[in-house]
Amino acid sequence: MADPVNGNARRAESVDIYAPQWRNFLFVAPYLFIFAAFLVFPLFWGIWLSFHKADTFSSGPFIGFGNYARLFRDGIFLQSIWNTFYFVFLTVPALALIGLFLALCLNRQTRSAAVLRTLFFSSSVLSVTIVTLIWRIVYIPDMGLLSMIYGFFGAKAPAFLSDPDIAMIGIAIATIWWCIGLPMMLFLSALQQIPQDIYEAAALDNANRWQTLRSITLPSIKRTFVLVVIIQIVFQFQLFGQAWLMTKGGPNNLTKPIVLYIYNTAFQRWDIGLGAAASEILFLLILVAAMAQFLLTRRKADA
Amino acid sequence: MTLRKLFLATISAATVMMASPSFAATELQVQRFFGACDADFGKNTDVSKAVGECGIITSLINKFAADNPDIKVNVTTVEWPGYDQLTAQFASGDAPDIVTIHESALSDYQSKGLLLPLDDLLKTVGVTPDQFTGAAKEGATKDGKIYGLPIDNWTMLYHINMDLFKQAGLVNADGTPMLPKSPEEVLAQAEQFKQKTGKPYFVQNLANETALFTRNLYTYLFQQNSDFFADPKKVKFNTPEAKKVVEMYKAIYDKDYTTKNLDYAGAINAFLAGEGGVQLNGTWVVGDYNAQSEKPGTALNKGGYAVYPYPQLFSGAKAQYADGHTWAVSKKDRSPEQTAAIGKFLKFFADNDFEWSRTGHLPAYKAVIDSAKFKALPHRDTISAVATLGKPLPSQVQRQFAIQDIVGEEMSAAISGQKPVDKALADMESRVNELLANL
Repeated sequence: MADPVNGNARRAESVDIYAPQWRNFLFVAPYLFIFAAFLVFPLFWGIWLSFHKADTFSSGPFIGFGNYARLFRDGIFLQSIWNTFYFVFLTVPALALIGLFLALCLNRQTRSAAVLRTLFFSSSVLSVTIVTLIWRIVYIPDMGLLSMIYGFFGAKAPAFLSDPDIAMIGIAIATIWWCIGLPMMLFLSALQQIPQDIYEAAALDNANRWQTLRSITLPSIKRTFVLVVIIQIVFQFQLFGQAWLMTKGGPNNLTKPIVLYIYNTAFQRWDIGLGAAASEILFLLILVAAMAQFLLTRRKADA
Repeated sequence: MTLRKLFLATISAATVMMASPSFAATELQVQRFFGACDADFGKNTDVSKAVGECGIITSLINKFAADNPDIKVNVTTVEWPGYDQLTAQFASGDAPDIVTIHESALSDYQSKGLLLPLDDLLKTVGVTPDQFTGAAKEGATKDGKIYGLPIDNWTMLYHINMDLFKQAGLVNADGTPMLPKSPEEVLAQAEQFKQKTGKPYFVQNLANETALFTRNLYTYLFQQNSDFFADPKKVKFNTPEAKKVVEMYKAIYDKDYTTKNLDYAGAINAFLAGEGGVQLNGTWVVGDYNAQSEKPGTALNKGGYAVYPYPQLFSGAKAQYADGHTWAVSKKDRSPEQTAAIGKFLKFFADNDFEWSRTGHLPAYKAVIDSAKFKALPHRDTISAVATLGKPLPSQVQRQFAIQDIVGEEMSAAISGQKPVDKALADMESRVNELLANL
């Protein structure tokens, strides 16, 4: 630690490097500019648009909550909110539990564990286009991998892309396959931070593996678990690419998430005002999740 | 010193950049759908060797570029129909110079003043609207002006596997396929087909599809004289006529007279593999399917390939839903050289419309449609009738692609049993009207 008071006493001519200097603003200016131009400004512009009748090429009169009223009368919008929650419910617990399971299995210093860690993480580097392409090849009826496997046993493969009961599950499976890398890595880093001496103490107490897991490992990574769950909730709420590329939101809008609804209204129907209003609703939903993360993690830190 | 060097370097770089356009070729940004097939036709300039929409359009543009070394054509291929992208490009002021737009979508962009009226430009290169066919002229004209160079008119067709039709006993004495004349006959013939061949009568792409459903509905509403778009701002779908159509397709679905769960590419593969009798697909595959039928060992080569307009199932107008493709030009500040290059490009496509009509589309030019060369193309004797049968939606109806998605979604829900037919039609009507009321 520097000591500005003593430093000033010894060398009166030296500059206080901690004093506020306007030119230091230059260091943060590029970030602030981008933050303001691409986040703050669009945020307020979006709110402004949501209160106006506007299309892609012109904006019309102020209509108050008119767009919001239209949204909540629109069965498809309500369906898309439900779809989004259903998708989050399908993916987030699975990602957290499978991620934890993989991390527990692969948290060792062997070569095969290192190879498997890389393998399980490798799907995360793919773009959504590649991921959906791969899974379409798996799901596609009559020619896909799944129908080949089912065909081998003389059975008919489930139509993951078009059956109303399982289309969302199909998208969730592809998403879990795609996103499993990050939760696994977060859990691995948490596991590696648990001090080895606790395990040694447990071993001296003759604790078996199950007791060690329940009483030492799991409590030690509780905060990471909450972090993984909330990161994934925020991320999976924004489902778009997989649904658009695999099912286009069908059948009968059962896989249409909120972001795809926004895309449909704003960019295909040119109804920017309504799309902006739907975006604000999504913003509020994600805000709630983010606030929950903030509150939960703060409470743990205090404890 | 270094500062001076930097200054000089900047000046010289700027000079080079400013000077270069005068040496370089005129650039044209062309954006199109019709797919990508660079592996097969990326370098081909012999248009007569190309087959299918993608092959022919790629070869035509290659040929144009080869014939005009002073014009550099930059082609962007977009996924069909590409309007989400185009709208975003227009909104950000970055639209391509020339772009494929359906006649049914022209008015969306024209009504916002985004497209260049082409009458004057076309006149300078000797293309006049009286050279267009009636349907092409009507489709390309908005508010009395031409807003796209029409290159074709298209519609949906019955693509028939004659081998399976023969097995099913659905062939007339003269060797032509026996086609239904009423909704009841559709079901009866489909049942007979299923009994005799063990395969579904129809090959349809029903998975996450909207366009096919919508075109089927429009066609059979036209044939019942249902004026569902009498008011272009308010549609009537909740009608007995619409119910009849949806119930017919629902019966086809319920009785397994159709393939299910196939997407567009899957349906084409299934038809070419001989997995059903009739594929409902557009004019654009006629060229490809005919080429397949000439290849020994294919399912279409076995008993032949035939193609017909949709059968007349109702007693009203003889009509079926049709649309057309055009090249539209964005409104932009351009140099005279650029405008002239666009004129040349459009003229080239007007002159080569015969090559494009080999896809299966109907030509947009009287001279081509009346030519012996066109009539001599395979199957044109059976499908040329769509020139008089084809009927678009009223041109004032906006957002026809967004409407198509709504109609298709609701029809799909009704046909697959996710929604009662009445509820689907009521939802279809109210959703489309909500969209149109908020334009």
